[in-house]
Amino acid sequence: MSQIKIIEIKEGIFEQNNQTAQELRNRLKEDKTLLINLMSSPGSGKTTTLVSTIEALKNDIRIGVMEADIDSDVDARSIDQTGARVVQLHTGGMCHLDAEMTRQGIEALDPSGLDLVILENVGNLVCPAEFDTGAHKNVMILSVPEGDDKPLKYPLMFSIVDLVLVNKIDAADFFDFDLDLFRRRLAKINPEIGVIPISAKTGQGMTPWFDWLKQQVHKL
Amino acid sequence: MIMHELSIMLEVVRRVEAVAKANGSPKVKTIVLQIGEAASVIPRFIEDCYDAAIHQTTLEETKLEIEIIPAMGRCLDCRQVHHLRDSQGICPTCRSKQFEMLSGREFQIKQIAVEDHYESDQNH
Repeated sequence: MSQIKIIEIKEGIFEQNNQTAQELRNRLKEDKTLLINLMSSPGSGKTTTLVSTIEALKNDIRIGVMEADIDSDVDARSIDQTGARVVQLHTGGMCHLDAEMTRQGIEALDPSGLDLVILENVGNLVCPAEFDTGAHKNVMILSVPEGDDKPLKYPLMFSIVDLVLVNKIDAADFFDFDLDLFRRRLAKINPEIGVIPISAKTGQGMTPWFDWLKQQVHKL
Repeated sequence: MIMHELSIMLEVVRRVEAVAKANGSPKVKTIVLQIGEAASVIPRFIEDCYDAAIHQTTLEETKLEIEIIPAMGRCLDCRQVHHLRDSQGICPTCRSKQFEMLSGREFQIKQIAVEDHYESDQNH
């Protein structure tokens, strides 16, 4: 007859991931490559924003992109046309990227000589917030049609990001998006967070975002 | 949302399989998780996706147990400790809404129960 033995584990479910993430973050810092984790809902204009950003900065900063998608390469092809170094990561049905997948993506991309790598995470405001990818900074794009109440619905996401780009700001009047109310709601969850209203389509507000990025690259 | 819990459970399965392997690959009878009331996962969803997460793994016959840890807060004004679910975050003594969280955000693998004596023929 077999007996039952208890093995104590007492380990947070995210601990292993957090450790891998920290190692990746340290290594990239030594190599002077800034990793930005860019998150958003589907349809927020993430790829359009990214393409304009690369076009504007490609003479100043050497940029690489990792496109995470559940299963397609539509976005990677758009980025590829900018001439930036890009790899496509398929999460194989998973709703987020973890640190190990990010590490493998970085290896596939070959970050040598790059100042900045942008990870375009899976479009979703829940799961990516849970897993540290190893990025130095977390940025999210919220688009105006999604509404100014999103910090109330996705507090975890808004609590872990360093900067929110409020995209499609040119359409604010059509969607009753109250930027001041949005800022007040955000401040309750994360007083440190930066907010930059932009329109990737018209170019409005893009300069402060480019400046923020350049500053982060230089600070690393 | 279920997809979110499934991804997390796949991580739990990977971790438990690694621990079992490091202990001589015994048969794992039970996994015990601890989930705080204020954790970002929902125990019922975790249970719902458990069968999918263990499908075609070495844990296919392993049972899941979940211990719920109450979300407790200590009032920053009068130091009263209260159960945040019952108090809705408001101190029952002085009505202050300021508190520090003492517990309730946990989400961890507490332990596993394994068979101590197993057949030397592990390929059966």
